[in-house]
Amino acid sequence: MIKFNNIHLSYDGKKVIEDISFEVKQGEKVVLSGKSGSGKSSLFALALGFVEPGEGEVTFEGVRVDENSVWDIRKKIAYIDQDVSVGDGKIQDLFDFISGLKANVHLDCTKGKVRDLLRYFEFNEDIGDKNIEDLSGGERQRLAIVISVLLERNVFFLDEVTSALDKHLKKKVVDYFMKREDWTFLVISHEPLWLEDPSVKVFDLEEGKWIL
Amino acid sequence: MDTVDITILSLGLTFLLLIVPVIISSIYGLKLIKPLFYSVARMSIQLVLIGVFLKYLFLWNNMFVNLVWLAIMVVVAVFSAIRSSSVKIRKIFLPGLISFSIATFAVVIYLNTVVISLKNIFDARYIIVLGGMLLGNSLRGNIVGISTFYKNLKKDTKPYLYVLSLGASRFEAILPYFRESVQLALRPTLASMATMGIVALPGMMTGVILGGASPEVAIKYQIMIMIAIVVSTMISVVLTILMTLRVCFNRCGVLRKDVFNDQ
Repeated sequence: MIKFNNIHLSYDGKKVIEDISFEVKQGEKVVLSGKSGSGKSSLFALALGFVEPGEGEVTFEGVRVDENSVWDIRKKIAYIDQDVSVGDGKIQDLFDFISGLKANVHLDCTKGKVRDLLRYFEFNEDIGDKNIEDLSGGERQRLAIVISVLLERNVFFLDEVTSALDKHLKKKVVDYFMKREDWTFLVISHEPLWLEDPSVKVFDLEEGKWIL
Repeated sequence: MDTVDITILSLGLTFLLLIVPVIISSIYGLKLIKPLFYSVARMSIQLVLIGVFLKYLFLWNNMFVNLVWLAIMVVVAVFSAIRSSSVKIRKIFLPGLISFSIATFAVVIYLNTVVISLKNIFDARYIIVLGGMLLGNSLRGNIVGISTFYKNLKKDTKPYLYVLSLGASRFEAILPYFRESVQLALRPTLASMATMGIVALPGMMTGVILGGASPEVAIKYQIMIMIAIVVSTMISVVLTILMTLRVCFNRCGVLRKDVFNDQ
């Protein structure tokens, strides 16, 4: 489904990724490991067309990620970055903005569905009136997760999405993603809960190979 | 009624007024004396030169010369607008030049043909003076517009990329930044329009009245020029931003880092 072929990437002359190749098949749950700066987040940026590889290519469903294909590929991936950059303003306005995008007109963003999701991730009913700037780190992470689920996509790129959550909520999030067999996801996380399920695979970027 | 001329000596007496800001600056340590004299000197020299130049421009009143002069004014305005933003001049000079030219020429030609119904629509007294007023105001709007747009996008790199990942087209992703920039660019003009006549007598109206025309004529010209300023500012800000998108973003919709001066 997603193939990274001989990827090389440098920022300002500094090599970040050197000759990495691996494939993630549909339905696979993958944890990316490696120390800080080993290029884990850059792999997501490459697949979403935010940066271009120095060498090599990324393919999604057999299609090379480039300036023509990337616009459709982005519509198939739900992405959460480690800073949870969901913008600012009222939460309800953010929901309206997302459902107002042309690519998302088919989405079910009805109050009932949103409410169920918000409730599952333990938000108060009146969260829509709150400003994103007033949310705690953990609330922002849960909000980004709610949005990623609302997008009804089957592929998830999750970059440190549980780091600010307590144990109970971490478990809830991990369980939510694990129970969906049809979902493919790549996770960057130091949270051991993601590794509890035996089906989870681990790719180490420093060694450039599968280690689990 | 003719305007009372000011003698060179009398004009020199105006400079005596500068003693006030000099004293205030000295008392409070504002460090404004040097910039004040630099700006006053530049303004005086530029205006003396332009006064001489305009005298001959009006005397010749040649269509070609007038258009060339207006074109030079456009080039300088674009250069100043871009220089004040954080974007590299060579990257967006051409889009800026095209949009300023369209905004200025189209509105001035409309005023001269449809509104004032001049026999010679390239008459120096109108095309240069009106063009200059439009450019001066568009310039202020564009400095705010272009700077705000690219500064905010650079600051919001991650939220912007997040919006792209949500499935937004490039235009959908930049729209909030575009709206904010155009609104900010037009805000001073709209604010000054709303208080015009009450808080201040505007420059053009004062000029026309001092030039000997009746207040009725002055008011008509002022209304005309204010509407023209809003229209030309809006056209130039919108066109400049839209036309720079092609050079400042790559084809994946990502803002290029090499368009900024500090890169």
